[in-house]
Amino acid sequence: MSNTLSRRDFLKLSGLGAAVSAVLTGCGPMARYIVRKPYTSMPEYNQTGLSTYYASTCRECPAGCGIIVRTKEGRAITIEGNPQHPVNRGRLCSRGVTAQQGLYNPDRIRGPVFQARGDAGRAKAITWDEALNVVQQALASSPDQIAFLLGAAPDHLFDLVSEMTATLGAPAPVRYNALTTFEGRTTLLEAARLTFGEETLPYFDLANADVTFAFGANFLENWLSPVAYTRAYGEFRQGRPTRRGYLVVFEARQSLTAGNADEWIPIRPGSEAILAAVFNRLVAEARGKPVSPAFSTVTVSAAAAASGVSEEKIRQLAQLFAAASHPLAIPGGSALAQADGLMTARSLLYLNAVVENLGQPGGVFLTPAQVAATDFAAVKELVRRMTDSKVKVLFIHGVNPLFELPGALGFGEALAKVPLVISFASFPDETALASDYILPDHTPLESFGYQRVLAGSDRPAYSSFQPVVVPLYDTRATADVLLAAVKQLGMAAAQAFPYKDEVEYIQQKLLPLIEAGGFYTAPEIFTFWSRWLQYGGWWKPQAELSAPRQAVPPEEAFPFTPPVELEEGKQFYLITFPNHFGDGSGANRPWLQELPDWMTTVTWNSWVEIHPKTAEELGLHDDDVVRISTPFGFVEASVYRYPAIRPDTIAIPFGQGHTALGRWAEGRGCNPAQVLPTTTNAAGDLTFGSVVATILPTGKRRPLARVESKEGIYGEH
Amino acid sequence: MAAETNLLQAVKPAEHAEEDPREHLMFDPRPREEMNRMVMEAMTTTTRRYWIWLIALGLGVAVLLFGAWGNMILTGIGVAGVRRPIFWGVFIVTFVFWIGISHAGTFVSAILRVFKAEFRRPFTRAAELMTTFGLAAGALYPLIHLGRVWVFYWMIPYPNARWLWPNFRSPLVWDFLAITTYLLSSTIYLYLPLVPDLAMARDRTKGWRHTIYKLLALGWRGTEAEWYRLRKAINIFAFAIIPVMFSVHTIVSWDFAVGMVAGWHSTIFGPYFIVGAILSGVAAVVTILFVLRNTMKHFDYFIRVEHFDALGKLLLVFSMAWAYFFFNEYLLSWYGGDAAVKQVLTLHATGPAAWVWYTMLICNVAIPWLTLWNKTIRRTPWAMFIITLLINVGMYAERYTIIPLTLGHQRSPFDWGVYNPQWTEISIALGTLCLFMFLYLAASRLIPLVPVWEVQEGQMAHTLRKVGKAEVPSVTELEE
Amino acid sequence: MAEQKAPQKWGLVVDLDRCTGCNACIAACSMENNIPFVGEDEVAYGRGLYWLYNKREWRGEYPEIKPAFEPVMCQQCGNAPCEPVCPVFASVHSEEEQINLAVYNRCVGTRYCANNCPYHARQFNYFDYELPEPMNSYLNPDVTVRRRGVMEKCTFCVQRIVRGRQKAAAEGREVEDGEIQPACVQACPAGALVFGDVSNPESKASQMARNQRRYQLLEELGTLPRVTYLKGGGRYGG
Repeated sequence: MSNTLSRRDFLKLSGLGAAVSAVLTGCGPMARYIVRKPYTSMPEYNQTGLSTYYASTCRECPAGCGIIVRTKEGRAITIEGNPQHPVNRGRLCSRGVTAQQGLYNPDRIRGPVFQARGDAGRAKAITWDEALNVVQQALASSPDQIAFLLGAAPDHLFDLVSEMTATLGAPAPVRYNALTTFEGRTTLLEAARLTFGEETLPYFDLANADVTFAFGANFLENWLSPVAYTRAYGEFRQGRPTRRGYLVVFEARQSLTAGNADEWIPIRPGSEAILAAVFNRLVAEARGKPVSPAFSTVTVSAAAAASGVSEEKIRQLAQLFAAASHPLAIPGGSALAQADGLMTARSLLYLNAVVENLGQPGGVFLTPAQVAATDFAAVKELVRRMTDSKVKVLFIHGVNPLFELPGALGFGEALAKVPLVISFASFPDETALASDYILPDHTPLESFGYQRVLAGSDRPAYSSFQPVVVPLYDTRATADVLLAAVKQLGMAAAQAFPYKDEVEYIQQKLLPLIEAGGFYTAPEIFTFWSRWLQYGGWWKPQAELSAPRQAVPPEEAFPFTPPVELEEGKQFYLITFPNHFGDGSGANRPWLQELPDWMTTVTWNSWVEIHPKTAEELGLHDDDVVRISTPFGFVEASVYRYPAIRPDTIAIPFGQGHTALGRWAEGRGCNPAQVLPTTTNAAGDLTFGSVVATILPTGKRRPLARVESKEGIYGEH
Repeated sequence: MAAETNLLQAVKPAEHAEEDPREHLMFDPRPREEMNRMVMEAMTTTTRRYWIWLIALGLGVAVLLFGAWGNMILTGIGVAGVRRPIFWGVFIVTFVFWIGISHAGTFVSAILRVFKAEFRRPFTRAAELMTTFGLAAGALYPLIHLGRVWVFYWMIPYPNARWLWPNFRSPLVWDFLAITTYLLSSTIYLYLPLVPDLAMARDRTKGWRHTIYKLLALGWRGTEAEWYRLRKAINIFAFAIIPVMFSVHTIVSWDFAVGMVAGWHSTIFGPYFIVGAILSGVAAVVTILFVLRNTMKHFDYFIRVEHFDALGKLLLVFSMAWAYFFFNEYLLSWYGGDAAVKQVLTLHATGPAAWVWYTMLICNVAIPWLTLWNKTIRRTPWAMFIITLLINVGMYAERYTIIPLTLGHQRSPFDWGVYNPQWTEISIALGTLCLFMFLYLAASRLIPLVPVWEVQEGQMAHTLRKVGKAEVPSVTELEE
Repeated sequence: MAEQKAPQKWGLVVDLDRCTGCNACIAACSMENNIPFVGEDEVAYGRGLYWLYNKREWRGEYPEIKPAFEPVMCQQCGNAPCEPVCPVFASVHSEEEQINLAVYNRCVGTRYCANNCPYHARQFNYFDYELPEPMNSYLNPDVTVRRRGVMEKCTFCVQRIVRGRQKAAAEGREVEDGEIQPACVQACPAGALVFGDVSNPESKASQMARNQRRYQLLEELGTLPRVTYLKGGGRYGG
């Protein structure tokens, strides 16, 4: 009785009224074929009252945590962590557990549309056949005029596009995600290359460390792999019966990570490099090690003057670090987003070598995955090419550059110069609405794929995606669209990609893993595939991280850039920090909007954090709307008098201020990307950490929705 | 019937040497038939202004009360201002306010009757009506404030197949039982002394009024046996209703005192609430007497300055008693040493809504103490009208302080909150005021507002006797 | 029917030294328990329906200032102040789980329980909060969707307790320690939340609760909370 049709054939047939007396088991989420079976043998996912669990990967940020989605009668109900997954070990963050609100978001794009760059008069829905023709013609244009802009996740789509551009002779895909900028990822990679000789992300074994210095690395919030680091933080605190770790965080604005630290050192932004250098010198001296020439000229008094930390404190901290049995220094985030960011990262990575923790428990390891850098400089270059009309076709997937890139970069104007912009967005974000076509991809919970785990795992790992529900709308996997279009191109390109569809491509890419010594294997790919889906990925059975083979300090004396001098009371250091909206794509999840901010408990809006003393001097009260201006633009937000920030510093969270992205995101708060510079540090990362801003009261008031009682906490009415 | 004659104690000759005893209603008798006619006229005279008021209040009830309530039922309690952690607001405040108002009727009527305070006679009915209608208005609130009013009957103990009973440990169930008891007994207590007057009205009316009065008068003929039984019944009820009255407001206070809320959990809440209720209730009686005296025909004969004077003294006493309990609350918190209670009480005076607390003290203590000692002010009806209105404003502020302001500042400062009353709540609160006034206004033209027989009985017992050259007021005590 | 056993006494331990204040527990709780979001204005007016909220207080003065986080959920008091005041038994103690149940379909909405809860752990449905299509698809069928006018609160994910117990019964075994996890415990990235049977002295939760860092919220009120907190902070090396 069972007979097999391809899913698409079936959809054609079903119009003829075929299969009236059969259960369509092909309606299961993973089915690529329709199987007709009698009603008596219902598939398990369709049994009333029973839950079916699917392992997949969270794609709310590029960390790649394993998830298990509980479904019932074909609906994704709850998302839980995958207990076996090496990144998160069954844990999840607030973004991961609310991912259903993306899948079931009522503002999703429900089928391919000719968007006409927001011209409502010309916009119209199109069919996928028409869409494929558009993509095919686009791919047929001159290869050097094609550009791909992808998100930061190292997934199968990135691999496919990389291969495709290589085959076509087009430039390699450019990748961007605001989070990687806020992480200082490029700087960290470059520093690792210079220090350890390998361009790979370091893995910091926080769980076994004791005295830990973190410069700007907000690893409890967003940095690299927040769930993995938060898990490690738990062990760092209470995992060992006799030892409790000691965390010292250096940053101007107290982040959640700094809030959980034993000591928060509010240093002046821009002084990280010299402070890291002086710690290198002091710790090396204390441990009786040779001091690298780059550090030997740095004096404690200079560092103290630059950072605003007392000499005594610097010496005391250096002593603490040097005397610890498992000291660890972590560079990241805002500390690297300075002119001297690369130097900061190198100094701190080398500081680990000074205390000999490389490859030791509680020390620094290197992650196995090699990654192509996704630096801000490459994005800048793409924008320059677009502005020079050298790009005729731009494909955008998994990133929202109009929102995430600094406004001063002029991506919007550059976009206008590209004749054909094709977006694969699932949601009507700013960039999608400014595109010619939107060919919506499945949302993460509806699609196949894999992702290499870059950071956060102590072993080589691939994480698998599988659909947990049948695609809700007329969306199509972008990989399928590209493969079909290439096939239509014919000739050499088609021969290079002989895959029937996305899944076959993925299976092809998984073949090397069969023999790679994972915790399971299989005689052939189909059995391997079923286990791959069942376990939610593939990884090694035991921890397997390499120690850096060498550690090279910065050699020559370094001319430290002094922190920007401020006109006191008029100018302020401006810090932009990501919160649980991540790169801003979380803003259309209503529960993330409703979730109180960690430190301020503000919901549903943006705010600007100002030290109460500063606010008093400026005559500002809570909820006063102020205009924050930098040389690059301005934003307006309500004042939150934040007691844990330097008086000469103000801070704005990133992620709000959408002009699109649906009902819950639109028109809330401000987007600090509008005030960010476009300058880069030596590694090519955006130097968002050294912006100077001015504050102007607007005379307006807009109360912030806080969960805390202002009266109870701050004693104000 | 008459037994013993003695000198009237309340009116001391020395103090009232210059005063004409005929200022007192009891010494200013009118022929029985004339008095009946006066009361009947007051009851049947309706002016254009009366109808305008009646219709306006009726509309007020329909729109402000039932309109807003209906809207709230359909959309949710969210249209009111309740929020975490202040889950009770204006509704419960107004509930306690009305229950408090309803106390005075019984207090004035029953207690003064039991203690044979003769000045009570002309206004016992006005006060009893206030009890019944105050309760009618107040008893709506336990329904209004429910999140799901359509299942309100789950709070009532009724036999059902699932053996689901209300939780008899909950003060809300006690509340329900106490209020029901009080409403029933106060209605009976209103009705009993009304019977002879209804019979009087029956004999002097025609048409629909006659039909109604005939029905309600229960065939009263005024025989000695009937009078005997009526007196006995009234007497029993007067004694029985006093503990009910005390229990009701004690139980209302238990809604709060049983809770764990800092600032509520106090043993003095029972008497504190009763004293407050009597203060606000007696004040409301004065307010109403002023209105009746000025709007109803012949009422200036029945309601005299002597009544304002006497009630003014009573108010002063209760204001002092209230102040004592207020002080006691602070004393207990100091003595108990609970930091949370201390904080709540401090925040009442210093928090964002401290003006409510000051309003309470000014209206409940400062104003009565500064004015009511003065006989001239006590005997100036319009002044008394203003003072009593202010006392009720103060008592409203007291309940507001006790409920939302206390709930807003509990043990965890992170969870403090400020409560903002919303239009729905204000509308419903005004709506129940309209309901009260509407019922009162309607009743004023439907039943004799003055217990004629009681006044006549009193006047018969009071006489001015000539002792030598002087005329001495004397009263014959009735044996009951 | 399985034979009657002594009831388990479910308890939660919150290690504040591990807790980072990341709020993943709030999000996980909301998604598991069909908690609606209410929007900016309502949250601003104190009507956010957080069954679990993170009490953030500040300790110290700048620059030695730091937040103290304390996740507060229903403490499942052994002697619960919310229970006696409910006129209709919508807040009752369960015999089987030894927790405090919120019976949504019995609640008439007097909100007395919420006033009387010293932890402010109870929330009220001020309105009907409709999820727009198709967002209602993720509603968990194991948990009642509450309509306007009823109270709600943390239930220790009683649906998960029941499911775990049924599964163990079907497999003919006892419930294992750590097998049942409420959504917050399951999500907690730092492992700060530990759930278990506190009547069993061997369970992880019991062992953790026997810590010298332990305290309970407002212990002096005699509510006998079933949630134990372990103080955060501590000295280096301690």
